[in-house]
Amino acid sequence: MNADQWLHAFAAELHRRRVATDDVRHVVAEAATHLRDGGGDPWVVFGAPDRYAAVIADSVGTRPAPRPGPVRLHAEGITKRYGRRTVLRDAGLTVRAGQIAAVVGANGCGKSTFLRVCAGLESPDGGQVTVAGRLGYCPQQGGTVDFLLPDEHFVLVGAGRGLARATARRAGRAAARQLGWEPDEPVPARRLSGGTRQKLNLTLSTLSEPDVLLLDEPYQGFDRGTYVNFWDQLLRLRDEGRAIVVVTHLLNQLDRVDLVLDLTPAVPGGRP
Amino acid sequence: MEIERRGQWLRGVLDLCVLGLLRGRESYGYELAQSLDAAGIGPIQGGTLYPVLLRLQRAGLITAQWREGTGGPARKYYRITDRGRTALSRGGQDWMTFVAPVTAIVTGGVDG
Repeated sequence: MNADQWLHAFAAELHRRRVATDDVRHVVAEAATHLRDGGGDPWVVFGAPDRYAAVIADSVGTRPAPRPGPVRLHAEGITKRYGRRTVLRDAGLTVRAGQIAAVVGANGCGKSTFLRVCAGLESPDGGQVTVAGRLGYCPQQGGTVDFLLPDEHFVLVGAGRGLARATARRAGRAAARQLGWEPDEPVPARRLSGGTRQKLNLTLSTLSEPDVLLLDEPYQGFDRGTYVNFWDQLLRLRDEGRAIVVVTHLLNQLDRVDLVLDLTPAVPGGRP
Repeated sequence: MEIERRGQWLRGVLDLCVLGLLRGRESYGYELAQSLDAAGIGPIQGGTLYPVLLRLQRAGLITAQWREGTGGPARKYYRITDRGRTALSRGGQDWMTFVAPVTAIVTGGVDG
């Protein structure tokens, strides 16, 4: 385990102990600076990541345990067929305000379909979805307009909420900065890199301050730093009382979520 | 010196030592560890030092700010507050009141 891996494990442990997101960032950055200055072995300097995280959590305090609010999303008995193939069979999920749910499962097991059904973009063959409040949806790809600048996207989405142009621009740029992106340059979306376009996509889905946020693997093309910022932001949104559903195939993040829906069929192949 | 005993003493006074070092000027974690070592207290690992700094910060005895050093990377600089000075003055007094009789009692044993 090198210093980076140690720091990564340390950060994960701090999150798991519900140390405030800003505190985690500061403590981890400070430990990284210390290791760079001193060049020591983190296991000698700080000890085991989990034990040091416990000491730090003791010193800075932790957030109160989450008190989930009212039910924001309730999906029940969702069944979806494409021709003779059953993609979803009797899938269900209930997410309350202040919770993050992860939807996991093998490729092709219907994770994106489930999310699209929750978003109301596809109708199921059976079951029903109830959403309480405003809905935000971030697709895996798309969701941006090739010929518009980032600022124009913010204004367009902001207008849907009745925001003035300047207010929408400010809110969009602030949300983008949370992902470590400064969207000041007037570059149309089609000229942005894949990762940056995903940041724009994600920014737009949070801009309307949704009560329910549905995210379909929105981090494709993110570098590691952005990926960390992304999870920090999810935890912040959760603590603000949003209900979040995130499709993911990265199981190492599952200790940071409140609910897990595994769509892997019980029978391999999941024949109808 | 017995390592365990030194650890116990440190636990009791490390916060005062940190406040004492910060009395004159602001500093960051790694530099504080070096200063403590240079003062003769011995090496202090980050795992011992940073929890103390966090507790002092939480108690309002020091404040912290991330800043770029001169030509160096960004570091978290700690600075003592007025409440920290008061705590140092009182705690320092308490320490000296405590250590003087201890020294008087054990001195004979050391000399003998």
